[in-house]
Amino acid sequence: MTTSIERLVASDGPSGTATPRRRTVVVRGPLRVVGRVLLAVALPVVVVATWQLAGTGGSLFGGVLPTPDRVWKAWWTWAFGTTGLGLNPYSGTWLANLLYSAERVAKGFGCAILIGVPVGIAIGWNRAAAGALDPTVQVLRPIPITAWLPFSIAVFGIGPGGAIFLIALGAFYPIVVNTSQGARDVERILIRAALMMGAGPFTILRRVVLPAALPSIFTGLRVGLGIGWTAVIVAEMVAVKSGLGYVLWDAYYVGRMDVVIADMITIGLLGYLSDRLVLAIERWALAWRRLQSHQA
Amino acid sequence: MGTVLFQNVSKTFPGVRSVRALDDVSLSIGEGDFVALLGPSGCGKSTLLNLLAGFDRISDGHLLFDGRPVTRPGPDRGVVFQEAALFPWLDVWNNVIFGPKVQGVPRDVYEPRARELLHLVGLDAFAEALPVQLSGGMRQRVGIARVLAMSPRALLMDEPFGALDAQTRLSMQQLLLDVWQSLGTTVLFVTHDIDEAILLSDRICVMSARPGRIVRTLPIALPRPRSIASLTSPEFVAYKADILSEMNVVHH
Ligand SMILES: Nc1ncnc2c1ncn2[C@@H]1O[C@H](COP(=O)(O)OP(=O)(O)OP(=O)(O)O)[C@@H](O)[C@H]1O
Ligand SMILES: [Mg+2]
Repeated sequence: MTTSIERLVASDGPSGTATPRRRTVVVRGPLRVVGRVLLAVALPVVVVATWQLAGTGGSLFGGVLPTPDRVWKAWWTWAFGTTGLGLNPYSGTWLANLLYSAERVAKGFGCAILIGVPVGIAIGWNRAAAGALDPTVQVLRPIPITAWLPFSIAVFGIGPGGAIFLIALGAFYPIVVNTSQGARDVERILIRAALMMGAGPFTILRRVVLPAALPSIFTGLRVGLGIGWTAVIVAEMVAVKSGLGYVLWDAYYVGRMDVVIADMITIGLLGYLSDRLVLAIERWALAWRRLQSHQA
Repeated sequence: MGTVLFQNVSKTFPGVRSVRALDDVSLSIGEGDFVALLGPSGCGKSTLLNLLAGFDRISDGHLLFDGRPVTRPGPDRGVVFQEAALFPWLDVWNNVIFGPKVQGVPRDVYEPRARELLHLVGLDAFAEALPVQLSGGMRQRVGIARVLAMSPRALLMDEPFGALDAQTRLSMQQLLLDVWQSLGTTVLFVTHDIDEAILLSDRICVMSARPGRIVRTLPIALPRPRSIASLTSPEFVAYKADILSEMNVVHH
């Protein structure tokens, strides 16, 4: 990816006469990064400014919606206030709640990967495994994770176990579906090459099917992670007494919309950062592919 | 070792409209022989080679490699594919050592050999390059090196130079001649290029289409060692005229 600016540049042709010609100037380095950041924050800045200016006395819509400055103050207290003092139960608990949620997502997402990738490879690779597993997966898949909530509470009770279960379940489906697609699409000639070189079934799965399916697997991981964040918030709102989802619902209940909005923004940023992390791992693991697309 | 025997082999691909790709093919290849399969597109050359490679099953007859029936692919029959079929996520070095590595050959046995082979195909400097960073000819050289790294008893090559430009093709033919002359492996070489078949092989099997049959076997008695200089000798031209008339390409 290069940002290019077209500019008129005098080029010295073979005849020696300087003829004006369009030339592409590539802007690189820090300047480019600054430009991109400026472009990205422009919209949020406009929205926040409008929101702030539209408010009167710290709120909009007859007191329902707090203005950004109040959200910021609420977040500040939530993040850096002293804990356990005063009437504000959220004071100083931001990091702890954030970590609770992140830990649950990490655990549930980890389980989804550990189960989803092998199951997906099996479905995509082996006809018997596909026949035995795929119908069940396809029938369970349309059940939204929210519909699993009562089941989850009944089985795991009120606590983090149910949240982890829901995250794992929600992330499992996209991982399985994409992995099996990737495993199915492995070029036959590569399998033949491996067979010809004496590779057994397990070696072929590990050294040919898995790397060939990796691009699809990462697609599944990124979709799955997004669902994982949905699942953790839903589960915490209803069935766990900690985490960003719990704070979200609790704050709403006591009319603290400023905390609700600060919480929402926190979830958004956290989801974004975790996606960037997966993307960075993907870039590293699929370096061979990036070279390929650069050539094309 | 490296003998091949097709005895009245037929191959029918089942389906709604089943295709009889090979019909009653008999062919015997001795140890160290270089045999070329020549024929028009769709006549069953790849089918024949895939049967010997073990990728497909014969429908009728007998197919023996080193006296034993062929049941599945194996490192004793190294296949060089038209499009190289390298693993795009592995660099050149790891593509070359893939065979011995997965077979559990000790590292200190395969490493020196792989290094030697990379040198032989002129790619020492590209050990760390990914397939995508190579030209078609270089990729094909890796494809040959990785097969030789397994010390196969036969080389099965399916139009290995078919996708290359004329000049690269000539240098690859020279390379293959050099390699074969020093190793003496049995080779079954599929091509539709008459010059290539004459230049390389001891014997040319000319095939006809629908159903696929070997219609003629022509020994090539050009002296060895050969090089691409042989392409212009009078004997070469005589062979070429003979095959052209056989294939009904020339009409008078
Ligand atoms: N898997 C398959 N299923 C059905 N028919 C097939 C299959 N593979 C090959 N055939 C048919 O068998 C015949 C011979 O095909 P084959 O690929 O062996 O030809 P070829 O001589 O290698 O041709 P080319 O020079 O174009 O590579 C063709 O008619 C083809 O359509
Ligand atoms: Mg073919």
